[in-house]
Amino acid sequence: MDRPANWSAYRMAALSAVGLVVGAIAALLAIAFVDLIGLMNAVLLIAPHARVQMDDSSGVLTAATVLVPALGGVVVGLIVQSLVDERRALGPPDTILTVQTGGLPPRIRSGIASTAAALVSLGCGASVGQYGPLVYLGTIIGAVASRLRVGLADLQSVAIACGVAAAISTAFNAPIAGIVFAHEVILRHFSLRAFAPVTVASGTGYVIANVIFDREPLFLVRFGGVEHAHEFVLFALVGVFGAMVAVAYMRFLAVGAWLADRLPGPAALRPGFAGLALGLVALQLPEVLGVGTETLRFTTIDGAFEIGELAALLIAKILLTALCIGFGFVGGVFSPALLIGALFGALGGAAVGIVFPGGYSGVAVYAVCGMTAVFSPVIGGPLTAIMIVFELTRSYDLTVAAMVAVVFSNLLANRLFGRSLFDVQLAGRGFDLSMGRDRAILQNRRVTEVSSVSGPVADPQEPLREALVRIASAGRSEAPVVDAAGIYRGLIRAGSLATSCPDALVADVVTDEGLVFDQTTTVWEALERMRHFVGDAAAVVESDSKRFLGTVTEAAVIGAYLDTAQSLKREEHAVL
Amino acid sequence: MRCFSSIGAAFLLCIVCGTAAHAGQTEPLTVVSWGGAYEASQRAAYFEPFTAETGVPIKVVQYDGGIDDLRAHIERTGGKPTWDVIDMALADAESACDAGLIASFDPAVLAPAPNDTPASEDFLDDAIGRCWIAQLVYSTVLAYDERAFPGLKPRTVADFFDIKQFPGKRALQRAPIAVLEWALLSYDVPRAQIYNLLSTKRGLDLAFRRLDQLRGHIVWWSDGSAPPTLLQQGEAAMASGYNGRFFYAIVEQDAPIAMIWDGQLIDYSTWAIVAGADDRALAERFVRFATRAEKLATQARLISYGPTRASARERIGTYIGSNIPMSAHLPTAPRHLESAIRQDHRWYATTERLRRRRWKLWIDSLPDSDRPPE
Repeated sequence: MDRPANWSAYRMAALSAVGLVVGAIAALLAIAFVDLIGLMNAVLLIAPHARVQMDDSSGVLTAATVLVPALGGVVVGLIVQSLVDERRALGPPDTILTVQTGGLPPRIRSGIASTAAALVSLGCGASVGQYGPLVYLGTIIGAVASRLRVGLADLQSVAIACGVAAAISTAFNAPIAGIVFAHEVILRHFSLRAFAPVTVASGTGYVIANVIFDREPLFLVRFGGVEHAHEFVLFALVGVFGAMVAVAYMRFLAVGAWLADRLPGPAALRPGFAGLALGLVALQLPEVLGVGTETLRFTTIDGAFEIGELAALLIAKILLTALCIGFGFVGGVFSPALLIGALFGALGGAAVGIVFPGGYSGVAVYAVCGMTAVFSPVIGGPLTAIMIVFELTRSYDLTVAAMVAVVFSNLLANRLFGRSLFDVQLAGRGFDLSMGRDRAILQNRRVTEVSSVSGPVADPQEPLREALVRIASAGRSEAPVVDAAGIYRGLIRAGSLATSCPDALVADVVTDEGLVFDQTTTVWEALERMRHFVGDAAAVVESDSKRFLGTVTEAAVIGAYLDTAQSLKREEHAVL
Repeated sequence: MRCFSSIGAAFLLCIVCGTAAHAGQTEPLTVVSWGGAYEASQRAAYFEPFTAETGVPIKVVQYDGGIDDLRAHIERTGGKPTWDVIDMALADAESACDAGLIASFDPAVLAPAPNDTPASEDFLDDAIGRCWIAQLVYSTVLAYDERAFPGLKPRTVADFFDIKQFPGKRALQRAPIAVLEWALLSYDVPRAQIYNLLSTKRGLDLAFRRLDQLRGHIVWWSDGSAPPTLLQQGEAAMASGYNGRFFYAIVEQDAPIAMIWDGQLIDYSTWAIVAGADDRALAERFVRFATRAEKLATQARLISYGPTRASARERIGTYIGSNIPMSAHLPTAPRHLESAIRQDHRWYATTERLRRRRWKLWIDSLPDSDRPPE
């Protein structure tokens, strides 16, 4: 590309512009998304504020409680099965995969349909989160922006990170957490090239949410400070047990999906079943409906719950969230994790209050510790968790306490489960990010991309001597044998002449030894299998028909590995 | 010349006669209001000037808010009420409108601002309602007797519930208004979430549990003029009440009272026309008169309630007969708004039965000394 003299100034301006535009659009859409959910919750009698106003007509309330989530589930099922190519909810794992491997994101139409399904899910009170869909909304904006031809390297990952940061910044009213989340969970590296526009986008989201729309912070908690030093040990314990709650939550999410797969009937109806079950439980425990902002607040108030109520809600929320998400409601795992964690923390706090009635700083700090201890391993973002607590509560004391819980919870959950729910889900789909980005990228590339058809090929009916001369003159010591129908038959080697009669045909000495890949073999797999390979090249064949597709040399595979490693290094250390 | 003057005198006499005859013939316009300093300010700003301009006398009937009195009056008169115009809190107006007790309101009744700005632009956005016109902003606040707390002064809503640190009787309105919000606010709930939390059983339970702390320390009031008196007479150390009444007592009667603006519950007072009022045109004429910018400004110079129209706020100035600038004493003064709760009128109107049910349960659980007289 022809680069003008002031190229870096251009890049700086272009990246900032991307951050600004993507940030502004993502922020506005995030606000619209959250407001629409609020509106639907009010109209459909999900929100307590709307429900209490129908207190006199209990029949209507009962009908709405059961039918709204159930019918909403049916609508969600239909949207997902007919309009989303993947036939499942799109969310942060898809974002992470796209950014980490540099692959193509899911189609925009699928993304929009998935977002619409999330809106219906949340609007109808499903026990799912709103931040996952918001992250994906940011991803869509970033993906659209990355189609602009502005001549910037790694534009896709940067633009998506901008969209995600702005969505989080706006929804939580937490600009720093938006930046940290985009880096820690999505980009997973800190390069100035990404940091600058992501910060612009996050700041833009904050300005729009705060200055233009004047949104209140979500979770202001007034806290007088930790009164007793021994409580820090208790916070660590909350972290340890919180990790177990988080792991249980994530395992139940997997069980929900496993159960759904074994359910007879069309997939489109499954969310409806989950909605019905949710509605029936909500008749007794209305707190399980929706995102549960009110319940979250109550967990920070001393004496708002009995211990038994906390335990019942904790279990119900885990099971119903697993049911809703497993059965195909579209939504995130984050907001339920916030609530589950806060309920768990409040439970722990109530227990501490009983054991040490005098040495206890109130339930709020335990609720916040529990909240962060549970949600940080779920999203795989300990730093993000600490920043979110800081920005949401605006309390330094609470942040320090939460930090202690987060450390222990992440250490333990990482051992018991993995880096995050998203990573474990991706690993289930064959992309293991735990072994590094290079591996994930090479696992995402097919060996056919680096194979070639230019090398010498022998025909089974050809005299062996002629074939070997041809192979030698091409500088090779072996060649694949491919018949007239184009089917791969094996391999001949230069040394085979010595052990056969002079007028032998290729067919007489062909051997089926040697390395053979097919069209599904990934570059990473090829790299692993070539570790002890001795020879010129491995054949690549079509898996069913054995049709010959080409050969791939060790040099080509190693070259692909080095290219990937270098481009990652460039991206992760890029300045501008 | 003499002849001319006598004709002139006769003519003049005739006008006076005519007016007198008119006044004699015309039924007075019956306005329902709240009594005390508030009614006095209305009398000076609206009632007397209206009679002077139109010759129609105004009869004032007093009530203590709510919609029960209005409903009873309409039932008692068989749908031909003698009440014409009623001054209602906005949430009550919502309820009354839903119940068909007040007539729908035609915004064309309202006069434009003195500079011809249309009324719809001059009034606050939500001031013009289905059946009412919100005319002023008032607030329900907490106040205390300065003499009761010579050292540490109560500053927050939480202090109101803290009997240990701030001992003394608490004067409370005998209705579930404002006090539930305050109870929840004392748990450090953000103001934006108060009504959402009060919408849950758990929220109401928490609020009443806070009120339980006042058991044995409650004095009840229902007439809005009572709280300043209760404080002045030492019958209560702290009280809830209307900001204008406290202001009046402080300024006019030099009462040793201080207000706590933390958690003030901001509400609108509205004019509404009673459904079935016999002379609707006259009632509308009164509402048009009483919502003119100069009239609203006059009332705001008599009592610290803020007008809902911009042209009126510009004209307020000082408390009549003094150098006290009124704008700093209004509920809408910026420093008072920092910790204000805006009343959710729709919520109030639709949760009335629930609130009353829970309120009655709580009242019934109180010791006899705290029971309000039936």
